Amino acid sequence: MSETQTANFADSIPAPLLHGAVRALGVTHILSVPDTHQKTLLALLMADPELTTITLSTEDEAICANAGLWIGGAEPLVVIQNVGLFAAMNALRGVAMDMKVPTCMLVGQFGRDVRKPVEENASTGVRLIEPVLQTMGVTFYRLDHESDVGQLRKAFDESRSERKPVVVLIGAPTA
Amino acid sequence: MRRAEALELLAAQKGDGVSVATMRAIPDWYDAGAAPRLHLDNQGCMGAAASFGLGIALAQPGRPVFVLDGDGSLLMQLGALATIAGAAPANFYHFVLVNGVYETSGHQPTPASDRIDFAAMAQAAGYQAAYEFDDIAVLRERLPSVLEQAGPVLVALRVEAAYDRRNLAPGQRPSDQAGHLRSQLVG
Repeated sequence: MSETQTANFADSIPAPLLHGAVRALGVTHILSVPDTHQKTLLALLMADPELTTITLSTEDEAICANAGLWIGGAEPLVVIQNVGLFAAMNALRGVAMDMKVPTCMLVGQFGRDVRKPVEENASTGVRLIEPVLQTMGVTFYRLDHESDVGQLRKAFDESRSERKPVVVLIGAPTA
Repeated sequence: MRRAEALELLAAQKGDGVSVATMRAIPDWYDAGAAPRLHLDNQGCMGAAASFGLGIALAQPGRPVFVLDGDGSLLMQLGALATIAGAAPANFYHFVLVNGVYETSGHQPTPASDRIDFAAMAQAAGYQAAYEFDDIAVLRERLPSVLEQAGPVLVALRVEAAYDRRNLAPGQRPSDQAGHLRSQLVG
């Protein structure tokens, strides 16, 4: 389901670029269980006075609070990491999918060796997330390089127009 | 006290608030007339009710939000107590029906059911206030003043385990409940 296969792997993705892309979505709330991979992006989001950032105890809660915010008329965005998404599979299934809730998630590929393709990474957290999402029928896009930043808008709009979860896999640490 | 009679008291206080009910609270809440208007059921992801309510409370700060949770359900996402305390929505009222068993799956006891104290846990997590009631007359007398307080507030309701085999999906429930509630709140 990924539309990009980036040939050149970036060592990092500029956090200010992603922050600007998030702001352009019209997001009101950031729901985060902190991710090492996206820590510089999270620092910018948390310091942004135009956004309300909520830190949650678990990724299940993030997906469920996302549902409540959307139902209430807000525009939330979930920011978590790959292993957290594994932990939240029941909420992904039972809430985002079954209740048809727009759920756009930035998911850091924590533990990824950026010099290798995802499929060749030693970490099962990195290597297995795409096959698991494919099995569940959840659309995902890779954001491996700053030139992929447009995938965020695409994913966000698709989550809203089709009322479904869409994942953006952040393939390199933000910096 | 019985769950149904406790929920009847809460339903009378709902007004234009939004409610979220989980598992065995669902049929009694509909019977009490507090659903389906401005209401969301949770049965597809045990433990989710409090987080649903948190999101709605943050998006709709002018409306009280009643979460009707269960003890087994809350234990599945217990970290939500800290999350809710941290977000501190003043319009959030968290009712936990404590019967000590997983009623739907056959009355197996919940962990530490003979000693667990949800009100104490909420207070320790940082809720603005927390209470426990096991007597319907006391609940009737105290509920209005509890609801005058700014949240987040947790109220543990000690209720008898019941043997209710009714469907968890009442016939009045809209097929797209999330979309239906959103349209009621946002237009």
